Amino acid sequence: MRNMLKLRLFFLSASIFFLAFPWSVQASADAVATVEEFHLALADVMLEADTLSFQGRYDRLAPVIDETFDIETICRVILSKNWSSLDADQKALFTQLFFRLSTATYAARFNSGTKRRFSTVNVEELREGRVLVKTEFNAPGLDVVRFDYILHQKQGQWYIISATANGVNDLALKRSEYTAIFNSSGFEGLVSTLESKILELGNTIADNG
Amino acid sequence: MAVFVVPASCRHLCRILLLPALLLLTACATTPIGSTDPDALEGFNRPAYNFTDGADRYLIKPVAETYATHTPRLVRAGITNFFNNLLYLNVMVNSFLQGKIGQGFSDATRIVANTTIGLGGLVDVATPIGLPSHDEDFGQTLAVWGAGQGSYLFLPLLGPNTTRDTPDLAMSTLLNPLIYIKAAIALPLAFLNGVNTRANLLSATALRDENAVDPYIFTREAYLQQRRDLIFDGNAPTEGIDDMFDFDDED
Repeated sequence: MRNMLKLRLFFLSASIFFLAFPWSVQASADAVATVEEFHLALADVMLEADTLSFQGRYDRLAPVIDETFDIETICRVILSKNWSSLDADQKALFTQLFFRLSTATYAARFNSGTKRRFSTVNVEELREGRVLVKTEFNAPGLDVVRFDYILHQKQGQWYIISATANGVNDLALKRSEYTAIFNSSGFEGLVSTLESKILELGNTIADNG
Repeated sequence: MAVFVVPASCRHLCRILLLPALLLLTACATTPIGSTDPDALEGFNRPAYNFTDGADRYLIKPVAETYATHTPRLVRAGITNFFNNLLYLNVMVNSFLQGKIGQGFSDATRIVANTTIGLGGLVDVATPIGLPSHDEDFGQTLAVWGAGQGSYLFLPLLGPNTTRDTPDLAMSTLLNPLIYIKAAIALPLAFLNGVNTRANLLSATALRDENAVDPYIFTREAYLQQRRDLIFDGNAPTEGIDDMFDFDDED
């Protein structure tokens, strides 16, 4: 009787595993595809860095970032409790501003034309259906840089909601910075700071060629 | 990210003087990752950061930039290798203290290989033969032994720290061979190490200046997260990061 119960439990566990496994593999593959689409765009702008200006790299990356990142969710996490105090127009303004800042940052940083390569090294399932995709960035003569992404699914599509470079998470970092500015200078102060930063980023890159 | 650097010899005195006071602070509250609250010691940390930033901007950084411009890349690589090897004893001891026995023996062999075949450490011969460089210190050892992070602490001229990391200031000083040799030799070497280290951080500080909207908070968060990454040897759990997405729909 006891053996029968064990056998039933085994078959039940096995059924659940095999039912869940195909979804899991597909989910992981789709999440990795989103990250690789983003990496492909970064690799392309780096290869053409000699001919593309800052604005050129920005224009090339903007549609890909729009397609692969869930900027609204990122903004909601970054502003934390302050998000709920904003009206719809303020939320839209901040989301649009943050999108421009993120794109400008990637356009500024990925500006070298040497041969560089991204590779996916591991995928882990997190809570609430989220997925962690671990990748590496290799460039000749430089240390390997680890880029880890957390993704979630929204309306059947996988989106990046967090990026971590060598253990430093951009979302956590910005959350601390922006909350401090919001608390000291309010929403208007934060908007003004971000607008200045976007302008400064473009000017610095233009000055440096 | 140890952004601000001064010659090691100057640090020794500061470390010894500051240590008792710092140890008293270890029971202070922890600053969590992605914190939206000010750190407990911000009243001390902000002025210390501003003072150090000023000293770096007007004195330390210009010297480092001049050094970087006029020193050939190969020479700088040799100097970096030399000081990395000289100060690697602290890494080896902490590998053993953390129970990483294999890594500890690898670190010991690395020191022997680089000091002998590597011409006193100028050439890193160990990495290509499978003896990689590790990054360990007593702050990480205390974390492995279960000590809490303590408060974030920005030390004037020394840079970001935590109360848990401060005992490493004493340990790394005692394991630094420079303090056991004549000052006439040690001081110029310590100065060279300070300038070379700051020069190696020029791109990191440029990245901070480009991205930070509040450089003080940016430095604090980046430091705390990087320390966490080092403690877990690059495999830190996602808790803390993943938890940020747990919000109610009405938030």
